[in-house]
Amino acid sequence: MSGVLVVMEQRGGNWNRMSFEALAAGQQLAAKLGVECSAVVMGEAVGSLASELGSKKLAKIITVEHALLKTYTSDAYVAALEQVVKQASPAYVIFPHTYQVRDFAPALATRFHSVLISDVIAMHDGPVFVRQLLQGKLNADYRQTGAGPCFVSIQAGTFRADAVEAGTSAIEAFAPSLDAAQIRNKPGELFRESAQTVDLSAAPAIVSVGRGIGEQENIALVEELAKALGAELAASRPICDNGWLPMERQVGSSGQTVAPKLYLAVGISGAIQHLVGMKGSKTVIAINKDENAPIFEVADYGVVGDLFEVVPALTKAVLAAKG
Amino acid sequence: MVDVTLAAVTCAHPSGTMLFPAMWVSATLAEPAHFSWLETGLLAAGIVISLALFFWRFGPILRNILHSKQDADFSLHPVGRRVWDFFWEVLCQGKVIRQRPLPGLAHAFVFWGFLAFALVSSNHIANGLQIGFLSPESSLGKFYFLFAAAWALLVAVGITGLFIRRFFVRPIWFGKKVSIESGWIAFLIFLLMVSYLGAFFVSPGGAAVKALWWTHTLTLLVFLPLIPHTKHLHLVISPVTVFLKRDGFSNIPPLSGDEDFGLVAGKDVTQLISLQVYSCVECGRCTEHCPAANSGKVLNPKEIALGVRSYLNELGPVSDVALLAEARPETAFANLLSMEAAFECTTCGACEYQCPVGIQHVPVIVGLRRGATNTGVWEDTYGTKLFLALEKNGNALGLSAMERDKFIQKEAFPIFDGTQEYCLWLGCMGGYDPKGREIIADFARVMKYLGTTFGVLKKEKCTGDPARRLGNDLVFQTLAEAGLKAFETAKVQKIVAICPHCVRTIANDWREYGIAPEIEHHSEFMARHKDRLPKQASGESIVYHDPCYLGRYRDVYEAPREMVRQAGTLVEAPRSHERSFCCGAGGGLAFLGEEQGERVSHIRAAELAGTGAQVVGTACPFCNTMFRDALAEVSTAPPQLLDIAQLTARALPKMQETGIMDQGTGEQ
Amino acid sequence: MKILVAIKQVPERDAQVHVAADGKWIDESDLNYTINEPDAYALEEALQLKEKTGGEVVVVCAGPERVTSTLREALAKGADRAIHIEADDLGSRDTLGVAQILADAMKSESPDLILTGLQSDDLGLGQTGVVMAELLGIPHATIIMHVEATGSGLKVKRELEDGWFQHVEMPLPALLTIQSGGNKLRYATLMGIKKAKTKETKTVQAAAATAPAIALDRVYLPEKQKKTEMLTGTPDQVAAKIVEKLKFEVRVI
Repeated sequence: MSGVLVVMEQRGGNWNRMSFEALAAGQQLAAKLGVECSAVVMGEAVGSLASELGSKKLAKIITVEHALLKTYTSDAYVAALEQVVKQASPAYVIFPHTYQVRDFAPALATRFHSVLISDVIAMHDGPVFVRQLLQGKLNADYRQTGAGPCFVSIQAGTFRADAVEAGTSAIEAFAPSLDAAQIRNKPGELFRESAQTVDLSAAPAIVSVGRGIGEQENIALVEELAKALGAELAASRPICDNGWLPMERQVGSSGQTVAPKLYLAVGISGAIQHLVGMKGSKTVIAINKDENAPIFEVADYGVVGDLFEVVPALTKAVLAAKG
Repeated sequence: MVDVTLAAVTCAHPSGTMLFPAMWVSATLAEPAHFSWLETGLLAAGIVISLALFFWRFGPILRNILHSKQDADFSLHPVGRRVWDFFWEVLCQGKVIRQRPLPGLAHAFVFWGFLAFALVSSNHIANGLQIGFLSPESSLGKFYFLFAAAWALLVAVGITGLFIRRFFVRPIWFGKKVSIESGWIAFLIFLLMVSYLGAFFVSPGGAAVKALWWTHTLTLLVFLPLIPHTKHLHLVISPVTVFLKRDGFSNIPPLSGDEDFGLVAGKDVTQLISLQVYSCVECGRCTEHCPAANSGKVLNPKEIALGVRSYLNELGPVSDVALLAEARPETAFANLLSMEAAFECTTCGACEYQCPVGIQHVPVIVGLRRGATNTGVWEDTYGTKLFLALEKNGNALGLSAMERDKFIQKEAFPIFDGTQEYCLWLGCMGGYDPKGREIIADFARVMKYLGTTFGVLKKEKCTGDPARRLGNDLVFQTLAEAGLKAFETAKVQKIVAICPHCVRTIANDWREYGIAPEIEHHSEFMARHKDRLPKQASGESIVYHDPCYLGRYRDVYEAPREMVRQAGTLVEAPRSHERSFCCGAGGGLAFLGEEQGERVSHIRAAELAGTGAQVVGTACPFCNTMFRDALAEVSTAPPQLLDIAQLTARALPKMQETGIMDQGTGEQ
Repeated sequence: MKILVAIKQVPERDAQVHVAADGKWIDESDLNYTINEPDAYALEEALQLKEKTGGEVVVVCAGPERVTSTLREALAKGADRAIHIEADDLGSRDTLGVAQILADAMKSESPDLILTGLQSDDLGLGQTGVVMAELLGIPHATIIMHVEATGSGLKVKRELEDGWFQHVEMPLPALLTIQSGGNKLRYATLMGIKKAKTKETKTVQAAAATAPAIALDRVYLPEKQKKTEMLTGTPDQVAAKIVEKLKFEVRVI
């Protein structure tokens, strides 16, 4: 077993952008260990996607094409990848920590009597992989001790997609042997709950509201600030769970991952599930009455105060500045 | 009220000169001299029939009461208090008169008149049975019949007044429907008095005498069976009800055994509850003072009593049918006893306090809540959130216990280590609510100034008051047992708290699981030391709001007032002391969602602001929280809102950082 | 339907954590334990399914003696039976090892459906359910918000990123990992606790641990990597400072 294999993710011919963060991670790990880094793309027809990787520094790009890989199912993906990993025999298999990966990667690891080291936030020499425990209260160092390949998934925002090294690579096709009878689940079409779509990832500025707002009617305060700034309104999960704002405005591990120029967090404590969705933002300003709130760990500027006083004052000041 | 001028005339009488309401014609009662055996026979038959009809209705009622479940914790002791209550409330009609003076007095006349008539009526019937024992000729007879006649006049006047009140004045507390039966009873009573008094105006031996006698007798015989058919059953049972009232005020009885979850079905209704609901006279005094009934809610405490009564009448005391209306929509009395109503109660106790016949509403309402909550039937988003918060975080606000730790550290409160005199109990409001924390900080300053040593517990969980009032015995038991253990481990001997709910729950409700150390409210503590606390000549007018759990529940009215007087000029709210109108937070309602109708807090806030006082003085952090927003919303220039601890602390000199005030560092 | 729910007992969320002396885990003295919150939602889902379709709900938990209190709470909320897999050495087993002992205990029960929370509040690996499904050879789906029993199996609503959802049809037996917040949790009632006393808790021994595939070397407090500039003053002063930054540094005004 040798080398690093990065599993890229695509859906309907579009990349999941996190795959490139995983790719950067894989390249850096390979460089440190002095081994080769390859990538694998699965789907029905992934030729054009694979050729995009041709300009990246990789040993090879393995394309795994099959009709049964058109729509994601755990059974098909695990079966196909098992064959790829057996053949390519990498020492490390790197995934982006996406919803899809959480669904199948543990099963894949089990087939190799291994355990996925999931949601990694850093890689140190060893290699040692760092994960967070107890909702971000502690960090933990993990190491592979078993004989099989080491499976690792990388947390969003840990590596930068633009850090992928350029170079050249060649495509290698792999024909998996899959049987329709193997696939036990029948997935349906993807759908959204509300008619309107809000694309937070395109917004240059986001004002986000959390539990500190207290009541639904108080959200109007924050909405005014967002309007004054020309920013999109977003929220942490509890706000959306309560139905105070639609699910599509949720930022976090189960919502959208955003990286705007400005992320203004109002009354958000900074639970790990939320941080994961916004820590890639260029500038983070946080307003919270608790000086120990974890949001201040990722904030560039912090205000410890009562949002009911600070937000209106800020709205006024912004409107005045805009003239 | 009918205006009656009493002409007092000196009457020359063998037994001396006496002042009597004038009776012109004859000073003796004319009684039939002789009864034929036929008449006696008819009378006897009439008595038998009357009694039979009485027991035909009273029997089932008595059976319903006796067949109800035994009360788990009932004890006749202390008998002294029962005897006193009986004397004051029943014989002296103390509560009846004091809480509604004019109608109360009218009723008292009727009641005392009935007592005075006992001898007369017995003799009257005995006469008819040819065994009369009191002669109108004897001096005792002469005196007593005139004495009774005086009462007859008072009763006639009283009953006329009450009739006019019910049928013409029509107070809303009696309900929308006018009670025709009350009219008939009033008429019968009036007839009894008139037929008695008439006998003073006719010459003895005439036919008129017999006619009057039979009128009086028939009225009595008709009246008797009517008693159990109407609310006049209270004549028979309410003296017993008052005597047998459960000890304490609004005491929630413990559950008995593994199958007891509260008032789920008819078979859970206890003997005391049955006795009490059958005593209801529908006077509406409970409704009149109920904050829910006065703010457009469904809850009406009278209907709770009548609902249980209707249930017992229709389904009996051993039925499995659920008590709450939502589960039995097909019954005739479907709308009474709804879960919606039961969960609108703030447990302020005004209903129970007012009831002249001894009904204890709060344990019934909490019992209904228990039946719903302990069995999981009550599904309320906020209620569930509260219970989960109490389970997980040990406080009612669902905040991390670390928040309390931070507060203690910031204020540098000493930790209780057995050497200090008092354990200062923060409570959920004192530990987590910003305003509650201010009150605690100010009270701590007062204690430091007085040189009283105190410490706070390292870890504190909620006393369980909201769980207790909402009927969740599982959460309550867990918290009570944990709390008792914490006090025992820390070797606490005396506790002082700023929250009357904490005080009540620890002092009374925790008794179900053990004995807590003695606990007092900070008003009681400060009043005891008031001579050492500075008096302020601020001249500020301060209207004091009696918290339900300190006033009615604990009988503490003066201590907080003494602290108010030290800080300014005391102003009384229109409804004060035992009539204080609830702030709306009790019964766990501070943690439930939006209320229907008007907001109780706003009604009371308007009343307090309406006194024109500059400050509203409170003694409970919940009252404080409820009034905070309410005062601002009911008044453009709202009065200041201050707890008595804050009123007292503002006069203290600024503390030094070190010195005798120092209790030691806030050690962890 | 016979539903098995795998629950885990974890340290309370709000507990202050201190790293143990050997640096390998946290100091467990003075800790309070409670049910893992996502597992509470899994249990709620199971109870609601039972209320709709009938059947039995069995809770399974691996751990030392103290986990029996969490099992009891689950019984009080309405589970019918409990299985306690006695294991004092969970810390030295990896996900595969724990999933193995859970799967072993569940095999003999032949459940129609297995539910777990999607991850644990302490380790947060989020894999035990998927690994269990793989070991038992049954289909699985993760991060499920809603479960519906159909004639031929299940129809579940799966949550994806960015507000997308997907329905998946699955045969039974199957395993699902449940997302928090899908249902409203119920509170434990007195009646539930009393009934729990009469419900069966079976204790089984965990098979000896095998060598783990990954090891947790050490735990430590995270360092703050970013230097946060705190802005102080009155609300108006703070607002002015923020507008400064927005104009000249962030350049959104």
